[in-house]
Amino acid sequence: MLDLGGQTIVEKIVSRAVGKKVNAGELVGVLPIDKLYFNEVIGPPAIANFKDDFDPIFGEVSEKKKRMIPRKVFDPTRVCFIPDHTVPSCSVMVAKGINLMKSFANDQGIRMYKEGDGIEHTVVTEEGFVRPGEICVATDSHTDTVGAIGALGFGIGTTEAEYALAMGEIYDFFVPESYKFEINGDFKQGSCAKDLILHILGTLKEGGCSKHVAEYSGDTIRKMGMDGRFTICNMSVEMSARTAIVNPDQITFDFMEDIVRRHGELGAELEQSMRKVNLTRSDGNAEYSAMMRIEAGTIDPQVALPHSPANVKPASEMNDEVNVVFIGSCTNARHTDLLEAARILKGRRVSKNVNLIVIPASRLVYNWAMSEGILKIFADAGANIESSNCGPCFGKHMGVLSPGDRCVSTSNRNYRGRMGSPDAFIYLASPATAAATAIEGKIVDPRRYYN
Amino acid sequence: MSSIISGRVTIKFGDDINTDYIIPAYLLQEAWDKKFFADYAFERYSPTFVKTCRSNPDKDNVVLAGKNFGCGSSREQAVYAIQYNDVRAVVAESFPDIFFRNSINNGFCVVRVVSTSEFDLGDKLEIDLSNLVVRKADGTCEAKIMMNEEERDLLFSGGRLGQIKERLRKRLSATI
Ligand code: SF4
Repeated sequence: MLDLGGQTIVEKIVSRAVGKKVNAGELVGVLPIDKLYFNEVIGPPAIANFKDDFDPIFGEVSEKKKRMIPRKVFDPTRVCFIPDHTVPSCSVMVAKGINLMKSFANDQGIRMYKEGDGIEHTVVTEEGFVRPGEICVATDSHTDTVGAIGALGFGIGTTEAEYALAMGEIYDFFVPESYKFEINGDFKQGSCAKDLILHILGTLKEGGCSKHVAEYSGDTIRKMGMDGRFTICNMSVEMSARTAIVNPDQITFDFMEDIVRRHGELGAELEQSMRKVNLTRSDGNAEYSAMMRIEAGTIDPQVALPHSPANVKPASEMNDEVNVVFIGSCTNARHTDLLEAARILKGRRVSKNVNLIVIPASRLVYNWAMSEGILKIFADAGANIESSNCGPCFGKHMGVLSPGDRCVSTSNRNYRGRMGSPDAFIYLASPATAAATAIEGKIVDPRRYYN
Repeated sequence: MSSIISGRVTIKFGDDINTDYIIPAYLLQEAWDKKFFADYAFERYSPTFVKTCRSNPDKDNVVLAGKNFGCGSSREQAVYAIQYNDVRAVVAESFPDIFFRNSINNGFCVVRVVSTSEFDLGDKLEIDLSNLVVRKADGTCEAKIMMNEEERDLLFSGGRLGQIKERLRKRLSATI
């Protein structure tokens, strides 16, 4: 039996993976991973490098053993590919990259999602590919999003991903310390998870959580639905957190059970992995190197001003004019996000000066929004609704900004040039604030639309 | 890689330089060749970067920066964009984990010192990896490099590829 007393959830997950008790600050030489996923930005070069670097070794060992050792990734059932950043493909090179991924996936028996199935971080959780208590790495910094279900997710670069693809491991891993955020109380009407994480960012700034895992707890988080938890974990990397995590609870179980219901065949295996979940929670006497307490009831709707996600102000203090509004991205384009925006836009029209772009985070969300009449509300208001992908958040298609454009986006980064021209201005806000802004053509506190 | 990397500070940045500034996203999918990204380094943030680096006849550029250099996305192209502009090293007060690992994995020298305030544009620096110090070549000041042995060894060996190949070879050889 492992001695699992006095540990954070992060220490426990890593301890389970390496088969012995480890604590924050310890160096783990080899960390086995449970899951690995690639998008079409890093997937193609990682596959090309994988072939270049490792084919000779498969050949060499085959020769030595006098039989063919086929080129294989570490475990095709624990890898998936998700083309999501600029799909349907927006350039010849993107199309070539996706085709390379398709043929490699086919060859190796790896699951390849289709263009439009959704943004990777949304897809891997709602499809049950990543589960609570698992260690997962992916070629994108917002892999921290999976922390919302109690999984430990890390963004990695091309080289590390290529090695992970071959070996199912990452190397020289320092078990990170945790920064505990305890949030209590109820939100004011009109404020939500996005306002909370913007508030935290405004307090801690871009480097404020560096080297630490952000662990979110308290009764606000316990009562919060999964969608809000995804938003908060997603944006933790903006304060340089290694990753983010929420201890799994009944809401996590319900989320997973819903997946089981949707995927009959996954059922038995998923149920088993969920049984592990109870074990993987922070102990009451776990050690944290930093802690912050926040009263949710004190947070007004927030906006991050150009050009930093940490440059935060209350929406009520602003009235900057905008001409583009984007409701989408891995941060804020799930069920409750679209519902909140639609409630405000229902029966109203987008300002004649605003181009409103709405992109649901996944095909599942898209089809749900269609069947619930939510897409119709957006369409009637005058929005452009696109198939699921990153859209203008990546700055390459579906609403690239020109010099002088002012955009309110529900995404996570407003760096100069992020969505196109370096001379455009990007503001970050919640779906409610974005919707209210789209109607008025200037940034407003959304609370005037609640009564 | 030799144990002393020397070069001249030709570029200086402040805090929180993010990877979108280093290499904009719209370019990331447009090539699988690492060298491609060098032409576009800092295109939207510091358009003089490429020219400054390339006009250094000694090709020994050192970039000096404040805290949190390379924050934001996990794009490794940010490392290539700098590396392939004849940049020998980045000396900064801190790096987020992903960028740091990406650099070391590519054998690109990034070193962390408590403060870079003693150094400035034009300084000739020696980054002494054996003794873990950065010093001015004229000997006037020194700063300790914060780096552990594993990281240093990886830098010396030019990245991790060799090590991974050996592990893969062993694993495959062990299969029946
Ligand atoms: S939506 Fe934006 S932040 Fe999220 S994965 Fe896509 S490009 Fe990255």
